[in-house]
Amino acid sequence: MRADAVRGHLDGLLLAVLEPGPLHGYAIIAAVQQRSGGALELRTGTIYPALNRLERLGLLSSSWQSSGERRRRCYELTDAGRQTLAGERTAWNEFTAAIGSVLNPAAPPGLPT
Amino acid sequence: MSAVSRPADPVEDYVAALTAALHGPARAKTRMIEEIRDGLADTVAAYADDGVPYRRAAHQAVREFGTPDELVESCQRELTIAQARHTARAVALTAPLLVACWYLARTAHRGDVWQLPHTAQLLAVHLAAIATVAALLAAVTLAVTGSLARRLPTPRRLPLAVAWAGTTASVAMAVATLALATASLLAVNWPLLAFAGVLAASSHAAVAASARACRRCARIPAVRPTVPGPCA
Repeated sequence: MRADAVRGHLDGLLLAVLEPGPLHGYAIIAAVQQRSGGALELRTGTIYPALNRLERLGLLSSSWQSSGERRRRCYELTDAGRQTLAGERTAWNEFTAAIGSVLNPAAPPGLPT
Repeated sequence: MSAVSRPADPVEDYVAALTAALHGPARAKTRMIEEIRDGLADTVAAYADDGVPYRRAAHQAVREFGTPDELVESCQRELTIAQARHTARAVALTAPLLVACWYLARTAHRGDVWQLPHTAQLLAVHLAAIATVAALLAAVTLAVTGSLARRLPTPRRLPLAVAWAGTTASVAMAVATLALATASLLAVNWPLLAFAGVLAASSHAAVAASARACRRCARIPAVRPTVPGPCA
């Protein structure tokens, strides 16, 4: 799936992979690629400004954590982030159901098959 | 003396290109660049663990990240908003000080024979009005670029509006400094007026620098023209 097709859904993807617990930037990229089975063609650098924006909106919180000799910024969902993720999921399910019913129409009930 | 040329490190070149292209509050910019550098280092390390030589791993990591031009647009948008919030905070904190300065100036001559000249009083009213409008705009900016941005889109020209509001407030503070310094030379109760002048001068210094940086960020085009590569 091309990068520009993914762009509109980046917020939802980032919130979803952070649902189980806090992750740092590279682990977030790895989680998105692992969950998608490598199907999403993501410009991985673009997640950093997106994470900054989600934090500004109050959907994520972040803190520096030490890992060996290195310090990494770890992000986690806030309560507002969990609510937004739930909203994104609902909207996505409704969208795919609507598009799916047009692309793959089931036989309308009452019509002869 | 001979110059020893080392082969360029793709990761460092990438980080240097981003550092040169981005403008914004020092702390926010440093944090963003450091995170990107860490992400690149982690990607290179992951490839190196699979046995890929460093230079090839570094080139691959940089390719996956996207070109600096692709990143600059979204990074700069965040840094511009961060700078607008920085300027708005400076204005919101210091503009009420300007009103306080003029209040001090009014009370300085209470009970004295000496009175603040009528022109100065008129100037005070105008400067206080400017400070109040700038402080209100700053408060609105902080609200609409914060958690309210989840529901409302951030106006594209808001950073520019904040930059000019900050500039106007800083000019008002400079005028107030001059007026208060002059008044302190004439007043009986000069220490109070001199203190108010120092307060106005400090406010001017804080807001002017931030507003200048905000104007610079707001002028950067949202989408930079990119030179198509040979494969485009």
